[in-house]
Amino acid sequence: MIAKDIFAKGLLALCLSLFLVTAAYGQHSVKGVVNDQAGEPLPGVNIQVKGTTQGTSTNAQGAYSLTVESESDTLIFSFIGFQRQEVPIQGRQEINITMTPQAIEAGEELVVVGYGTQEQVDLTGSIKRVQSEELNKQPALTATEALQGKVSGVNIIKNDAPGGTPTVIMRGLGTALGGRNPLYIVDGVPVDDINNIAPSDIESIDFLKDAASASIYGLRAANGVIIVTTKQGTEGAAQFEADTYVGYNSVLNKVNMADGPEYVTYFNEENAAVDGFQLNQNQQYDTDWFDELLNQGRFINSKLSVSGGSENINYFFSYNLNAEEGLLDNQKFWRQTLRNNNNYRLFDGFLTLDQNLSISFSRENPMPFGAFNTAYRQSPLVPTFYPNGRYGQPFVNETTGEVTYEGAADETIGRLNTHGNPLTAIDFNNEESNAITLQGNLAADFNLTDYLTFTTRLGATRFYGDTRAFSPLRQQWISGDPTRTVAQYQANKEANPGVTDWADNTLFVTDTETFRWNWDNYLNFSKSFDDHNVDITAGISSEKTGVGKRFRGRAYDIPEQEQYWNLDLATDQYDKIVEHTNFTPNTLLSYFGRVQYNYDRRYYISGTLRRDGSSQFANTEDYWELFPSVGLGWTISNEEFMGENEAISFLKLRASWGRLGNQNVPFNSTVVSTDPGSASQNYVFGPAQALRFGASVGSPARDISWEIVEEWNLGADIEFVDSRLTSTIDVYQKTTKNLILLVNPLPNSQFEGDYFDQGAEVVNQGLELSLNWSDNVSEDFSYNVGTSFSYNKNEITEVETGFEGLTGGSLGNGQITKRLEEGQPLGAWWMYEAVGVWQDEMEIANNPSIGGALPGHLRYNDVNEDGVIDERDKKFFGSYVPNYNYGINIGANYKQFDVSLDAFGVAGNKVYDGLSNTRFGGENIREETFTNRWTGPNSTSEHPGANRDAIASDYYLKDGSYLRINNITLGYSLQNIVNHLNRVRFYISAQNPFMITDYPGFTPELVGNGSPYGTAGIELNAYPNTRSLLLGVNIDFQ
Amino acid sequence: MYKLKKISFVLFLILLFVGCSDDFLNVASREEIEAEDSSENYTPDEFVIGVYGSFTDFTYAFSWLGVTEIISDNADKGSSPSDTGTDKHLLDNLEFSSTTPSIESVWTKWYKTIGRATYAIEYTENFEMSDEQLRSRLIGEAKFLRAVCYFYLVRYFGDVPIQEQDLTQRAPQEEVYQYIIADLESAAEVLPEKGVYAEEDLGRATRGAALSILSKVYLQRENWQQALDYANQVIESGQYSLADNYEVIWREEGENGPGSIFEIQARGESTAHGIQQYSTTQGARGPSGWGWGFNTPTQDLVDAYDSEGDEIRKDATIIFAGETLWDGREVSPSIENPRYNEKAYSSANAGAGDGDKNMRIMRYAEVLLIKAEAANELGQTGEAQSALNQVRDRVDLDRVTTGDQNELREAIWKERRLELAFEHDRWFDLLRTGQAAEVMQGHGKNFVEGKHELFPIPEEQLRKTPQMEQNPNY
Repeated sequence: MIAKDIFAKGLLALCLSLFLVTAAYGQHSVKGVVNDQAGEPLPGVNIQVKGTTQGTSTNAQGAYSLTVESESDTLIFSFIGFQRQEVPIQGRQEINITMTPQAIEAGEELVVVGYGTQEQVDLTGSIKRVQSEELNKQPALTATEALQGKVSGVNIIKNDAPGGTPTVIMRGLGTALGGRNPLYIVDGVPVDDINNIAPSDIESIDFLKDAASASIYGLRAANGVIIVTTKQGTEGAAQFEADTYVGYNSVLNKVNMADGPEYVTYFNEENAAVDGFQLNQNQQYDTDWFDELLNQGRFINSKLSVSGGSENINYFFSYNLNAEEGLLDNQKFWRQTLRNNNNYRLFDGFLTLDQNLSISFSRENPMPFGAFNTAYRQSPLVPTFYPNGRYGQPFVNETTGEVTYEGAADETIGRLNTHGNPLTAIDFNNEESNAITLQGNLAADFNLTDYLTFTTRLGATRFYGDTRAFSPLRQQWISGDPTRTVAQYQANKEANPGVTDWADNTLFVTDTETFRWNWDNYLNFSKSFDDHNVDITAGISSEKTGVGKRFRGRAYDIPEQEQYWNLDLATDQYDKIVEHTNFTPNTLLSYFGRVQYNYDRRYYISGTLRRDGSSQFANTEDYWELFPSVGLGWTISNEEFMGENEAISFLKLRASWGRLGNQNVPFNSTVVSTDPGSASQNYVFGPAQALRFGASVGSPARDISWEIVEEWNLGADIEFVDSRLTSTIDVYQKTTKNLILLVNPLPNSQFEGDYFDQGAEVVNQGLELSLNWSDNVSEDFSYNVGTSFSYNKNEITEVETGFEGLTGGSLGNGQITKRLEEGQPLGAWWMYEAVGVWQDEMEIANNPSIGGALPGHLRYNDVNEDGVIDERDKKFFGSYVPNYNYGINIGANYKQFDVSLDAFGVAGNKVYDGLSNTRFGGENIREETFTNRWTGPNSTSEHPGANRDAIASDYYLKDGSYLRINNITLGYSLQNIVNHLNRVRFYISAQNPFMITDYPGFTPELVGNGSPYGTAGIELNAYPNTRSLLLGVNIDFQ
Repeated sequence: MYKLKKISFVLFLILLFVGCSDDFLNVASREEIEAEDSSENYTPDEFVIGVYGSFTDFTYAFSWLGVTEIISDNADKGSSPSDTGTDKHLLDNLEFSSTTPSIESVWTKWYKTIGRATYAIEYTENFEMSDEQLRSRLIGEAKFLRAVCYFYLVRYFGDVPIQEQDLTQRAPQEEVYQYIIADLESAAEVLPEKGVYAEEDLGRATRGAALSILSKVYLQRENWQQALDYANQVIESGQYSLADNYEVIWREEGENGPGSIFEIQARGESTAHGIQQYSTTQGARGPSGWGWGFNTPTQDLVDAYDSEGDEIRKDATIIFAGETLWDGREVSPSIENPRYNEKAYSSANAGAGDGDKNMRIMRYAEVLLIKAEAANELGQTGEAQSALNQVRDRVDLDRVTTGDQNELREAIWKERRLELAFEHDRWFDLLRTGQAAEVMQGHGKNFVEGKHELFPIPEEQLRKTPQMEQNPNY
């Protein structure tokens, strides 16, 4: 209370003194009331004396008063959402103003097009802009996360792990092995990701979806371009904004595993089929591993920003803190960001300078997702800990059938399965990574004439990252078996001097430092001649990325206490491993130009040309490539014949074609294989058979060039009913030529190792539709409904002879699930087709079966009817990438309440339940698997029995479609509680409260390692989807 | 306008900066040492050694057994009934298909070896070296090894692609043979005789080896005169003679002996290096055993020896359960299979990962038998009998005296089986001599005529090069 009083008094004193100061110099006072069009008073309106920093704002009754130096001064009235007005005082003492809302006509909305901006209505390509308000409706660590389902044609897959980065795929997968991430441009600076930027610092994000829009970024634009513009200050008094939210999260789709007694039954059936031992029905433990492993996660996010400005200088400053604790013990992430963006207007506007600087610090303590896999598989009969405090392990007394590591001398102790205790994976994992990212840019615009501007911009990013991982090898070994002792370990250690397997512990550290800069220079000419509007941009850009180095080191037997975790303090009993690498930088040099012309805002034509050179292709010295594009547009609604059409307020048709490149491709190098031991390059000669070392060439050094994308886009923008209903529709065809594949050499070729080559063409064809309806029903009630829908079909249309048959999707047990083939989508599933279950031996004997088939196993289709089940019977089953994405966003305001609801769904994909399939025996199963299992002849022909094979088949391939409620938020705002406190909004929000899916695992959103021929779409170690509940408050004050 | 001039000047400066654009893009590699800076130089010999090394791959320890002996009347799959050795049961029962891994494995291995040989030849041709004799010898060695692989391929698969020409089309057998003959002739021209090589080069391909394989190629093609001529060249070279004692040929002491023309070398000491697990896969299985127990001699083979009263070669070729081996090892009567391949048995290294067993590819005895067969076909009965009886004399068998061409042919064929059993030639012989259908059907296997004379082209290959047609009836 006392502190508050002092604060209040201080504030009062400050105000008084300000008043006195102004009064002392004041010569003329003005007062008045500011109303909106309905005559209601508007509180919080900024009033500034033009050319000074002097100003005030209206109170709760919309009234203001201030003193100015001269009767001839001009007042500037500004308020967010309303048109700014400049009113000369002209000697008046009372000036009452009616503010008019900013017309949200499409015609005035700007989008960033790369090296410039353009009005949305003048576009010929497909660019979608998302504004800060939309972005910050949903809490997110990375801005793109909040946009799932909101931008048609952009597929965003979330990763709910703390610090997780979402995957963004624009208009389908166009590359198998090259970089798949879109290019990000932050305030004109190209970067690889936006993980270092707080979403609340972002003013807008523009998605350059079609090739004609993106081709101004040439050889890096093949996966689409995302342009991020951060917030700037605006003229007026300082605005403070404070936001905080806190919340909890938990697993969205909990998986129900079989309990102890069910496990016993299942295990016994499984073992009976191979004449193995049986378990007792009475067991000591019944552990729910997920309960033991999972915690409730929690998170907090706070931001504070201040912005404002005068006629010539604007400023924006912000601080953001995000901290999360994940579902696993000690799984943490935090990030702090600081940003300062300033604009200077110099020499009467001849020169404007923009300076942006951001610093981000983050720390992560990751945990191995393998723990989810182990928790799924470990038997419920195994305790977390034995009564003596040792970790539970799946030991079983095979003689008595009791799950214990103890037994009499003549009893056999075996294992239920090969998996460990999931808790050990977490308890002995001690990793930490820290990162600092410094990012900034300085841009100068010289307004040479009113139609000619020269811009030069310098941007740079510096990254420092370090990680360390400490593994207590001795404790890990001891935890693997309750009978192991420290003395045994010590004995092994002494018996194997210098053998690192028996070191007490190991520390692994990495230090990475990178730097990148870019320098852009361009001229813009923009002028109208009668009805001819011309805009020309031409420039040069140079860039250097990947300047930096990495240090990696590993040492053994360092002191246990964290404070001494230095490689230096390791004992010298073991060799240290040190790696130091200077990265080879990548330079880029580009010349670009863009011409845009329209006649009377009815007929549009635009073209871009970019010539790009990249050091990536230094080995062939074939650096250069041209990336052209053209676009056409016709705004029909501006034609006279449309007249004053009541129904259609805006109608525009667009068509474009463009060419893009992907320089982020893998390279080959000639590898000469040699081996210092016994390998099949070596041979022996002579009577003494001396070992002679030979060599062989593994794979060819085939030269690789960029992947080229060519894309057509046809679109239409239509607005109905006074622009209350707006819709955009686009269709596209995007062809990736010379797709780079990892070629498995022909069996009869000379090459022994896989190599990269350009050998396929992929076509993505799709349709994007967005519809938005917004209406202000009354003063108190307004609402909007937005929907987005996209369809994409991916197909490999051409594969060079000999390049078919790239396989992938390894389940880690020798089984593969994917194969590349013409006519199939990229990353298509390829496996046996399960057609029922073998009921008895007779049936197996009389039909084609795979080796080792037993009753209760799945029966596979002999597709080619040759009486043998082999590779030739495998079939294609579609892809893990959804064909359909849709989103629904509803928002409404009623008086002081606001509510929003967002939903997102996908369809047309399949995902693989790898957890159920890859069993070696003795693992736990889902309760559903237990209930449905085959138990004997004619029990079921749908589900296999407890004893089943681990062969990949479509039985484990599940429908990956889902519909998820992303967000439900309810807010309540208080306006103008006291002076300077303009608004306080409280809100409660549920994130991912429900998901409708048939998929039985943790999540159908399975990014895996992202590679179409990797683990994408396969559930093995995925982090679960989480649901969260959060409370937040926003405060705006001046 | 003044401003515009100023701007033009700025732009000019920028253009000056980026003017040397290719220099800006030519970034020096920092992570990998570029080829021109590479201090690592490989000698041609290293690449040639790499070709030899290819023959020590595991393929020759397992797949190779399946496609040469287990498939024939000489051997059964062996091992435990439940252990199929992936596909050895399919080969044993003539139920293999285009997806049988052993067939794909040998197909691929031979082509990869051919690739290494071609690379070595090109590398050697272009390498700066002053010793032209060494250059041509190394090229000759690589050509010899390449021909050996093509000879395997053409006999098993018929028309096969010539890797250096076209990977997607199968070249007619005739062309493949011409290619093999050209390689062997050119190798024979440049390779030194066994006795001319320096001691430390013992084991390299020799002129004698090239001539022997040439003679075998002509025998395969029933070009009797050429087969005879080349066999005679080997015999007259004076480099080879029959080892006195048949039993020791396959033992360590018999390695590179007087009758050895070409063998795959292996050493037992650390670092051991030989065909990986050649002895392990064929070692006795079960308690007191030392291996996986595959490729076990059939009763039929035992009977064949017995019908000739051929005790020496029977004992040298077959380990019987319960016997005490020459080195004193007692083989338990309760091991899993009744017989094992003694030629694969290594005394010092029975179950080690790297065997010390030299695998014999060509022996003098086979050259004599080729001569006998060719001479007999040419009506030179005396020549034929003399060559055949040299081989029989060594193992104390009665001399063959028949003058009947057919009887003599049968005798020579049988002699080949007994002399060369488990030396990976039986299936080739059965196919070459046209006995396969009769013998295998008699042996209780479903040999389909018009199908089993050739292996199927592996599925993996066909999928990638669909233009290549499959062999009939697969």
